[in-house]
Amino acid sequence: MIPITREERQWFLRNLAQGLVDFMGVVEPPVPVEDLLRNPPPLYDSDFGVVDMYSNLWDATFARPPSQRGSIFVRIDLEPEERRFVLARETLSALITSKHGRAMGLFDLLLPNLRESAEYFASCLLAPTSLVGAYHEQGGRGRGVARTFRIPQSIALRRWEDFATINNK
Amino acid sequence: MSMQALNQLVARSIVDPSVVQSFSAGRMEEVISDLDFSNDMQKRLARLEAKSWAEYAVIAYRYVKAAEEITVRIQLPSPLEGLLPGQDRTKDEQAA
Repeated sequence: MIPITREERQWFLRNLAQGLVDFMGVVEPPVPVEDLLRNPPPLYDSDFGVVDMYSNLWDATFARPPSQRGSIFVRIDLEPEERRFVLARETLSALITSKHGRAMGLFDLLLPNLRESAEYFASCLLAPTSLVGAYHEQGGRGRGVARTFRIPQSIALRRWEDFATINNK
Repeated sequence: MSMQALNQLVARSIVDPSVVQSFSAGRMEEVISDLDFSNDMQKRLARLEAKSWAEYAVIAYRYVKAAEEITVRIQLPSPLEGLLPGQDRTKDEQAA
C-alpha cells in the first residue's frame, strides 16, 4: 500500500460516509445510523447488525463470530448521542472487514490508523458534508451542530472546525 | 467539477460493486468516461495503475487536486490589481 497523508485519508473517509448517506436518501439531520445498521445496503447483509449488551468494559465493539453475521455489540445504557456516535464509529470496522470492503482495499488503507479513521468516519457519517453544508448555508452556527445532528458536543465542535477548514481551502 | 466527480465516484463505490469490479477488470476507462472529467484527466485516470481500488482513489485524488490547484493559481488576480492608478478600488480606499 502506498503511504497516504491524513488529509487524503480523511477525504476518502468523508466520501465513503457520504456514499452511505446518499444510499439512505437522507436529506436532513439527524442521520438514522441505527436504521442503516438494521437495514443495510444488500452488499452488507452479513456485516451490519446491532446487539445490545450489558458491559462496563467498552462502549461498543464490532465482532464477526465465525460463519455468522458481523454485529456491533453496544452498551445498552449509553446516552442516545453517544450511542449514535459509537455505532457510527464501529460501522467502519464492519465495512473494512466485509467482503466488499476487502475487495476495495479498505483493510490495507485504513487499518494502520483504525481508531482515528473510525472516529473521523463516524463524525462524517453523522454530520455528512452535504448536510453540514446545507446547515451552514441556512445560517447554522457551530453551537447548534450537536443538537441538530444529535451527536456529542465534542464531536460536533471538531466536525464544525473540520468543515470550516475544508470549506476555506 | 473534476473533484466533485471523483467524490461521487468514491461515494458510489461503497454501495455499488460495479465500480470495484470495473477497476479489478482494468475497465476504469468505461466508468470514468461517464463522469465530468476533462479529456486529459480522463486519459490520465484511465491509465492509472494501483494495487487496489482504494489506492487508485487516493492517487486519482492527487492528480485531480494538483490539476485544480494549477487552475486556481491561473485564475488568481495579479498582486498589482487595485494598486495601479485610475482603478476603482484605489479610489474607494482613498474615499474611505
